[in-house]
Order: sequence, then structure tokens, then C-alpha cells
Amino acid sequence: MSALDALWGLYKREVIKIYRRIPPLVMTFIQPILWIVFFGSSLNGLPKEALLQMFGTTNYVAFILPGQLATSMMFTGTFSSMSIVWDRRFGFLKKILVTPAPKEAVFFSKVLGAATRGLIQVPVMIAAAVAFGVVLPADALGYVEWIVGLMLLAIGFSSIYLLVAIRSSDWQLPQLVANILNLPLMFTSTALFPKNFFPWWMRDIASVNPLTFAVEIGRGLLLGDPVDVISLGYLAAFASIALAMGLLISRKYLTAE
Amino acid sequence: MSSEAVVAENLVKRYGDVTALAGISFSVHNGEIFGLLGPNGAGKTTTIKILTGLTPPTSGRAIVAGFDVVKNPNEVKRRVGWVSSEVILDDDLNAWENLELQAKLQGVSNWRERATELLKYFDLLPHAKRPVGNYSTGMRKKLEIATALLHSPEVLFLDEPTIGLDVNTRAMLWDLIRTVNREFGVTILLTTHYMEEADALCNRVAIINLGRIMAIGAPAELKSSVGGEVVELEVERPIDLSRLRELPDVVDVAAADGRIRITVRRAEEAIPQIVRVLDFAAVKSLRVEKPTLDTVFMKLTGKRIEESHMDYRKFYAMIRRARQ
Ligand SMILES: Nc1ncnc2c1ncn2[C@@H]1O[C@H](COP(=O)(O)OP(=O)(O)OP(=O)(O)O)[C@@H](O)[C@H]1O
Ligand SMILES: [Mg+2]
Repeated sequence: MSALDALWGLYKREVIKIYRRIPPLVMTFIQPILWIVFFGSSLNGLPKEALLQMFGTTNYVAFILPGQLATSMMFTGTFSSMSIVWDRRFGFLKKILVTPAPKEAVFFSKVLGAATRGLIQVPVMIAAAVAFGVVLPADALGYVEWIVGLMLLAIGFSSIYLLVAIRSSDWQLPQLVANILNLPLMFTSTALFPKNFFPWWMRDIASVNPLTFAVEIGRGLLLGDPVDVISLGYLAAFASIALAMGLLISRKYLTAE
Repeated sequence: MSSEAVVAENLVKRYGDVTALAGISFSVHNGEIFGLLGPNGAGKTTTIKILTGLTPPTSGRAIVAGFDVVKNPNEVKRRVGWVSSEVILDDDLNAWENLELQAKLQGVSNWRERATELLKYFDLLPHAKRPVGNYSTGMRKKLEIATALLHSPEVLFLDEPTIGLDVNTRAMLWDLIRTVNREFGVTILLTTHYMEEADALCNRVAIINLGRIMAIGAPAELKSSVGGEVVELEVERPIDLSRLRELPDVVDVAAADGRIRITVRRAEEAIPQIVRVLDFAAVKSLRVEKPTLDTVFMKLTGKRIEESHMDYRKFYAMIRRARQ
């Protein structure tokens, strides 16, 4: 089918760009590892009882890893919007839109590209966490749920960021939007701290923040307290709505200029 | 299939207050090389964008390869190829990958054979796996044309195909465009602001300025429409001119200050006739003046094309931006 052909061709291009462009690739791996190294070590001096009481584990890295990975999925979502802005500026978008390839395929390929860039961090980060003494439970299904959750999160956020830039050729816009959205969303999720310590209004935001759901799935797995699979449903809804909106809007509003 | 590859009827395009096209009509016959010749801002690129379905016209109608660009843009897009004036390739991909992407976008199933054939034809096969970012400008242009031909389009749109290229590369591209037209049987619509290019390549030319078509015709027709060619003789002493006026190819004769200006239809045919009827012992020198398309443009607009055209600095800045 030619729509799928087009999607495959465009997605392949995004993937090639991930591994040919070395500096962003290095950033993709260095940044999260720095998180684990510095942020993960920052609480090492706390007494074990305090750690256990606050975070449910004596190794803070095991607590922060799911938070870091979920946050990364959101951060790398920005690559979808940067990618469309560059394609518009270089005229490559014209080259795509002068073919009968559906506009939805362009949108979807960029979402998948950004999600891929996010997901390649998962194995690397898990390995890094093991090096920092995190013990991995043997629960195959649990990992599948976690990774699917992260993927849904990445798809949802990439769709949102891409939508914001769908008609823009301003290369600063993606950064601007990222700066506005990323930190508040990270702080109002359970990525860094459990929500027991939050004031009530932050707790309310945290309990609907998609980041929280992906974080809790991973944390449930690593800390041996699995969450209800309904969390995955929530993330699936988040991803589907964002993606569906993106596909619909791109069909109408995606243009070369 | 009708005999017209492109029919444009009264196309208007406005961008806010700017009228890029003020109602242009023309048609391109199947199999010909048709040129849109005009200066900066004439509306050449805008015309191509409308005809390839990239942007809709504000009003008017266009049929390309048998389909309406507004009602059936995808049918049009399947049947046309487009090469922009700024070279657009993905520098992170090699030639082969650029072609593969194009094949997937156009839904070409047997693309490998076709791509190999085209790369061979354009002498790019040995470089197929090199990143396109390292190609020379001429190679990039060739690859872009190959990409545009991958799905065997009926009509190929070339926007300023030789802008900013050196003389040799330009000559190479002219040859290539002619062969593509002949051997691949592709109708070509190109835009240019080089009058020699329009003259050398195109079967017919439309002269466009400020969103209006000023004249359409074969280059020779257009040139003869502004008055014929002139044969100018410099003579040592007055000679008998009476028999000149009887010659079939002579349009007009004027003599002043030892110079005789003979307006003729075609100098090549007229000169032998002139030699037979004049006393050439008295002729010191002979000079031929031929009108160019620039003469035509000047007559129509009061300006020269190349003067009203621009600016290599802008062009190179654009290239540099695009390659980074
Ligand atoms: N996207 C746009 N928005 C606003 N104005 C535009 C746009 N595209 C073209 N124009 C205007 O329309 C007019 C025609 O532009 P066009 O690009 O078609 O000219 P051109 O003949 O291709 O010129 P050039 O030789 O510089 O490429 C110009 O005045 C230009 O400024
Ligand atoms: Mg132009």
C-alpha cells in the first residue's frame, strides 16, 4: 500500500538521521547518564532508613530511573517539532508534498522518529542503572508494560510538540515550547519525588499528568509493587488522542510554507 | 491523452496584498520544451508551484497531464516531476537513499532497477553510496533531476535549472535537458531569466513580467516580431542601392554617413543575395545584428531582463543556508 510505503520511507529517513547525526546522538545518551550519575548519587549520604521511608528503596537510582526515562520521552518529543521546522526551512517539505504521499504520513513519521530516539535510551539507561547497583526483577511482562508505556508517552508528547510547530518555520519555537512545558510537567509528576510530599494542588495535577503514569509503571516494576494495568490504558488514551488530533490537523493544515 | 501537457487558464495568485500572478494563460504541448522567461518576482516559481499542486491558485484553472490541479492534485503529482531552483536533497542521506525515499513517496515498486539505470545514465553510479553533502553542485543538480525522473513523470518542471552554475556545468545541463526531453519522452516546462538559455533550449517561450505574460512563441518568432535582423555595411564611396530593395529577404534599407543598414528577415539567407547585387569592391566591413530575446523583453517592458534580475549574493546565501 502506498500510504504505508510513504510512511516507511519517511520513517527510515528519520532513523538514518538519528544515527548519522553524531552530536545529537551523543547528547541523547550523555544527558540521561549524567542524570543517573549526579542526581542519582546526590542522596547517597542519606541514612538507609530515611531512603526506604521516603522512596521505598535503599537505592535512589532505582527510584529515579523510571522518572528519568519518562522525562526523557517527553524531552525527546521536541525532536519531532525541530525536524519539521528544519524540513520547512530547507525546502525538503516541498519535495515531500509535491508527491502524492499523504500528509498524515509526514506527521506520523516524525512522531515515530522522535519516539524512536527516546526509546533507544531505554536499554542504555537500564544498563547504566545496573552498573549503579540496581537489581532487576525477573518479570518479563512487567518490562513489556513499562516499555509500551514509555512508547505511548513518547508518541503523545511528540504529537503535541509537532502540532505546535505544524505551520512554523521558526527554529526557536520548538525550544520555546519545550522550555514552557517540560519543567512544569516534570515537577508536577512523580518523576523526581513521590507525591506524598506534594501540596494538595500539585498532587491533583500529578494524578492526571501522563508522566506520572509512565513513571509509576516502571517504579512499580523495579520496586516490586506493580501498579494496575489501567495506567497503560490511560497512556494509550493520551497517545491516541494526541496522535489522532495531529493526523487530522496535519491533513488539513500541513503545508510546505 | 490530449495533445496539451499543460493548460493554464487565467491563473491568479495573491499573497495578501501582493499579486504574484495577475491572470496568466498558456499551454504546453506534449513533448516540447517550454520556457517561462522573466526577471525576479515575475511569478515563475509561483506558476510552477500551482502547476505541481504545491499551492492552489487564488482563481483560474490548470490542467496538467490531463488532470485539474485543484480537483485532482494527487493524480497530477503522480505524473509530474519537480526540480526546485535551490537544490533540495537530504545531505544526511546518500544518493541511493535519496532515491529510495522518493520511490516510497511516489509508490514506485520497481525502483531499484530504475534508480540504477538513472544513476548510470547521469554518471552518478560510482558515487551512489557517498553522502550527498559531499557532492559538487553539478552532481547535486543531476541527482535532483534523476530523483524527479524516478517515477517516469509525463511532465518535468525545472525551476531555474542552471542558476548559479559555471559555464561548463551549464552546457552539460543543457545537453542533459535536451536528452531527457528526447530519450525519456518527457515534456519539460522550465523557468529561466537567462535569455540564451530560453533561446537555446526551448521550442516555445512565454515572456513573463510582474505576473503577466507579455508574449508567447518560438524564440525565432518572438525575435522577428521586434523587427528583423540587420546587416550593416561600411562603404568607402556611395554605391548603387537600387537593386537591394527588390531582394525577397530585404525588409528595409537605410543609408547614412557611409553606413548602410539593411533590415532583413534572416541574415544567413540575405547576405548571399546582397553580395550578388552590390558592388562589394567598395565595402570595407560587414556586421550582422540579430535581435535576442532580451531585445524582445526590452521592447515589451522597457527594461532589460538581466538588469532587472538579481543577485548572486542572495542565491549563494541561500545555497549556503540550505547546505548547512
Ligand atoms: N509565499 C509567498 N508569500 C508572499 N509573497 C510571495 C510568496 N511567494 C512569492 N511571493 C511574491 O510573489 C511574486 C512572484 O514571486 P515568484 O517567486 O513567483 O517569482 P519568480 O519569477 O520565481 O522570481 P525569482 O526569479 O526571484 O525566483 C514576488 O513578488 C514574491 O515576492
Ligand atoms: Mg523563482
